[in-house]
This record gives sequence, C-alpha cells and structure tokens, in this order.
Amino acid sequence: MIIPLQVRDFAGGLRAMASFLIQSEKPHIFGLIESIVDTGSPTTILGMSDIKRMRVSQLQLRDIESRKEPHAYGGGRLKTKILRGAKLKFGEYFDCIMDVEIPVQEITELNTQPTIIGVDFMEKNKLKLIFDPAKKEAYFETSE
Amino acid sequence: MINQELELLENFERDSKWFHDNIEKLREQSFTGKFVAVSNGKTIASDENIDMVIKTIEKEGKNPAHIFIEFVYPKGFTLLL
Repeated sequence: MIIPLQVRDFAGGLRAMASFLIQSEKPHIFGLIESIVDTGSPTTILGMSDIKRMRVSQLQLRDIESRKEPHAYGGGRLKTKILRGAKLKFGEYFDCIMDVEIPVQEITELNTQPTIIGVDFMEKNKLKLIFDPAKKEAYFETSE
Repeated sequence: MINQELELLENFERDSKWFHDNIEKLREQSFTGKFVAVSNGKTIASDENIDMVIKTIEKEGKNPAHIFIEFVYPKGFTLLL
C-alpha cells in the first residue's frame, strides 16, 4: 500500500507533507490539517495554530492527560497533553487511530509551528518513508 | 472515508497547493509575517494574530477547522524542526 505525500518548498526547504482529517470525540475535533513528515521527531504533535483552528479551548484540554515530561524545544521546555485515540484519515488511502500530542503552553513563537507527523506514526502503522527531494517525490509505503 | 469528508479534504489540499504555488506573490502583497486563510483559491483573511484570522472566518459563517490557514514565512527564513 502506498500513501502519496506532497513535496513542497516550505519555510526554507523541501519538505514531505501530508494533509489529513483528524477526528476526536473528547474533546470534539473534526478538522483538516497539513503536516510535515519529520523523521527527526519521535512523536506526532499538533501545531498550536491547528489546535486554535479546531477551536479546542484550554478549558477542554483541562481534563486530558498530561505528558509526564515536557519536550525540549528551542532551548526551552514545551508541555503537552496526550489526545488518546484520535482518528487520522488520509483521503481514500488510509486511516488509523493513534495518540497525538497537543501543546498546552501559549508561547507566541509556537503559534507558527506546524503539525508534525513523527516516527510514532510510522512505527504504529508499519510504514516506511520514501523521500526523493531531487525528483520531488515522497510517499509512505507499507513495510511488511 | 465518506464522500463529504473526501470533498472537504480535496478542497483543503487544493487551497494548500494554491498557497504554496503563490507564496512569492503573497510575499509581494505584504502577507509576510502573517497567517493567511485561503478558500477556493483566494485569500479570505490575514493577520499577524491567528485568533483574528479565525474570528474573521467565523464572521463569514465558515468553519476555520475546514479552512486552509498557513503562516507566510519571510523569504530566506529556514524553519528547523
């Protein structure tokens, strides 16, 4: 199985990017997200601007489990919550249910940070990333 | 994925492509350093503060969760993840 990705010149260089629909019951989320595939990130984490677009309030996040340890980010620390059992749908190609992280700190610099698809997504779904920047081709492929 | 969801995603991806294809024009039009909302291949809101962009979209009766919004980084800026 192949999940096609877009290769786009974004924020200083070529990136493998994926658009998907995300759904969650609590808090209620139903929206569309453009993400960067980042094999340097162990976790999938939603961008602050995407959280705001989904109209998820800090009040709604209050009852969600916090990640025990903050992430190191830009010389500082970023606290996150864990959104359990979110459904991610990649068009007609693929969908999965997995945990994703949500930043909870309102830091101005973080507002522009995009959503990242991390290695946890690839590991859970047994996918490998094929990324050929020279040909501007990228896709996920089942590794089984 | 049901048809309605697929249609939403296709529209979103089309607006994403428009944004990335037209990023230089957006910079020329003074959108650098702002969040820009794109719908049906045109900008419908912009501001340095994403909360203001979301409010504008909501005033138009649209759901910001279904609208493509992206930040226009300055030319030469490199985002390290």
